[in-house]
Amino acid sequence: MNTTDVIEPADAGRASAGSLPPSSQAGDRGAEASTGRRVIATLERYALVLLLILLVIVFSVLPATSDTFPTLANLRNIAANESVVAIAALGALVPLVAHQFDVSVGATLGLAAIAAAELTTRGGFALAPALLVGALVGLAIGTVNGTLIARFGANSLVITLGMATLVGGIGAWWSRNDTILGVPEWLTTFGNTNWLGVPKPVWLLIAVALLVTYLLRFTVFGRQLLSIGSNPEAARLVGMPVTRCVLIAFAISGAIAAVAGLLLLARTGGATAGVGDGYTLPALAAVFLGSTTIRPGRFTVAGTLVGVFFVAVSVNGLTLAGAADWVEPVFNGAAVVIAVTASAILVRRRGGTQS
Amino acid sequence: MAERTPDTTAGAATRRPAGDAPGLAVRNLSKTFPGMRALRDVSFDVGRGEIHALLGGNGSGKSTLIKVLAGVHQGDPGGTVAVGGQRVESDAITPTWAQAAGIAFVHQDLGLFAPQTVAENLFCGQPYPRRLGRIDWRALRADARATLERLHVAVDPDTLVGDLRPADATLVAIARALRGRDDVHGGLLVLDEPTARLPQAQVDELLAALTRYAAAGQSILYVSHRLDEVLSFAHRVTVLRDGELVESRAVAGLEQAALARTIVGRAIAQAPSRPTRATEGEAPVLELRGVAGGPLAGVDLALAPREVVGVAGLVGSGRTSLLENVFGVRRPTAGEVLLEGRPLPPGDIAGAIARGLAYVPEDRARASAFGNLGLPENLSAADPAAYQVGGWFRQARERSDAVRAIADYAIRTPAVDARLAQLSGGNQQKVIVARWLRREPKALLLDEPTQGVDVGARAEIYAQIDAAVAQGAAVLLVSSDLEELLHLADRVVVLARGRVAATGTREQVDREWLIDHVYETSQEETRS
Repeated sequence: MNTTDVIEPADAGRASAGSLPPSSQAGDRGAEASTGRRVIATLERYALVLLLILLVIVFSVLPATSDTFPTLANLRNIAANESVVAIAALGALVPLVAHQFDVSVGATLGLAAIAAAELTTRGGFALAPALLVGALVGLAIGTVNGTLIARFGANSLVITLGMATLVGGIGAWWSRNDTILGVPEWLTTFGNTNWLGVPKPVWLLIAVALLVTYLLRFTVFGRQLLSIGSNPEAARLVGMPVTRCVLIAFAISGAIAAVAGLLLLARTGGATAGVGDGYTLPALAAVFLGSTTIRPGRFTVAGTLVGVFFVAVSVNGLTLAGAADWVEPVFNGAAVVIAVTASAILVRRRGGTQS
Repeated sequence: MAERTPDTTAGAATRRPAGDAPGLAVRNLSKTFPGMRALRDVSFDVGRGEIHALLGGNGSGKSTLIKVLAGVHQGDPGGTVAVGGQRVESDAITPTWAQAAGIAFVHQDLGLFAPQTVAENLFCGQPYPRRLGRIDWRALRADARATLERLHVAVDPDTLVGDLRPADATLVAIARALRGRDDVHGGLLVLDEPTARLPQAQVDELLAALTRYAAAGQSILYVSHRLDEVLSFAHRVTVLRDGELVESRAVAGLEQAALARTIVGRAIAQAPSRPTRATEGEAPVLELRGVAGGPLAGVDLALAPREVVGVAGLVGSGRTSLLENVFGVRRPTAGEVLLEGRPLPPGDIAGAIARGLAYVPEDRARASAFGNLGLPENLSAADPAAYQVGGWFRQARERSDAVRAIADYAIRTPAVDARLAQLSGGNQQKVIVARWLRREPKALLLDEPTQGVDVGARAEIYAQIDAAVAQGAAVLLVSSDLEELLHLADRVVVLARGRVAATGTREQVDREWLIDHVYETSQEETRS
């Protein structure tokens, strides 16, 4: 290192313009820099997955839960129960890819359940048309959300929050604030039996997950949503139908939330006003948790499923270990706050400026 | 280390008063990021009262150097930085030290608040004067007025910043940076691309103001890509390449071509003196008939195949509106646009693209870049449907096309799947242009395609434009860079008051013609 007292004049001895060696190291800088970064990036990608595996191992060997947690019955129970949240989360995922919130998924699934329950019991409908109406209720709510947000540029968070409250009120009126029981047995059987050793609700979840994966990854529509989420103005200026895409995203979200509601009805055999509201936050928590893993910074189907089961396994294990009821809301709330923060950090780092 | 004194005679500028401490003395400054040396043993001086241009391509280390001066990044141990006699080890610079030593920064985006007044902006981030617990608006205004007067900024403190002309806004940002100093022109003023967004007339105005500040003793370090401007206005230049200092010398005797070679490290292609490529008598590809709307008052224009038409004009003359009305971003209030003789549906971007139009907007970050998406997604953004085959989006095919585009257009990227934001500005712009070229557009609309792009990347973007022309495209090029217009255009039209005020062929147009016509028309404007 040069520590002499007399520092060379800055320009002395420097080559003059034109007689300079060509630059040689510009190209291999990136390669050098990325070796260490790649290790960190891989850890970052699979941190939540590893954490989920770790949790399963811990609850399987922990004396307090080793008898109850790693049983087939308990694991099937988690999977079947969480299918409702997971399907709702996959619904909310679709508009979130375009950076639009749908916080009405819980209320929508609640109203769809009430609609189907009401029509099959007091309405005299057969099961299939009643389920169809339930699904159409969700599609209609989503379409209204999408129209207000996409066409008029209203804020998605506020519109869907208002819609959630409105839909909840309609549910209370339709159900006369009562629990509707006595839905056809075929439905409850579907909700509580296995096929090939796997609960039937999980098969439904797999079907929905494949459908959403197809939509987001293997259609132009999915690419358009991703582009809108990245830069809506740039998406418009390359000719993408921004309004139509956002509208359709909300319609899909509503329809998928309704499927979650029908599954809830199948699981519990009844519908009650207000029951759906509890699903919104866990669903969004799962999507945001999922955006920190597998493809950090992006909302994905695989990430969302990891997110759902990460929260579910944690809460289930803690409950079996004897934790009190308040653990679940605290855990869910913490998961949202931490996941959204982590997701925001990732997004900022990725959209961020280079030096 | 205390006995080490910076050699103030190094590279002495004749204008500098003898015996005075230099405005800035950087010695042996290095900066290492994990796995990458961004700066390597850089030493140079900025004399007191000197305007010193910092030049270099994207990734040369300019931004890193400025961030080290600001205390945003810490330099490696072993270097020193001195400002007006206050010296500090390069790994000990903090934002607080930078401020105390009197380094003021004005960034390219200025960081002003458009809906607030000039006075409010000047006090932004600092305590407002108070009286009886309330804001003393009168004292605020008086202080603001005094600050503006000391810097000869002819702006009313009650004006909203959003209403200022760009050059005045820049001066207000400078005034904010220098406000509150005892010696208003002490310390060092660092400007990042202060002229990049200014129309030519206001560039001269801003540079005149900076020259006046320098004459009063202000040391100025400024980053620019505009070499003609540097040569006519700076006293000294320092050129960085790949983190190393290539040259630090007086401007006198320096030629633009030589300077460009120093920055790039290789000779850049000279403007080819080629004949007009468009053939006389061929049916126009793109035709505008009486297009009006916004600032446009009825524009008629026809572009032949393989013709590059440059659009010059002052800000507000309707240059950007012209492109937006053609592409369908805006719907013209009158007139029509024809592509290959058939009218384009007004206000229909997707329809215009389907017919073969392409548009590279001015503001990349806002209007064309998908920063957090990868290069394949960015390159296919204008025609994703091309990859939907048999109900499935073919990502593998999209990626292999991206690999080819990266090679074809010399896009420098750490990886094929790198996010666009990871690339330098020039390479991002190459991606945006490549996005359209793969569609083989019939007409290409470009709005300031090389703004803020370094010399090397600029040459490559010009090559892309040439490739589009070779494919048969007509190009409508809006640029406030006169050299660029002279280099690329077969024909230049000057817009004023929303109309075509002058047209010149490649043979007629030169620097003087452009300056004459852009300014003559604007004088008429003020007279009328």
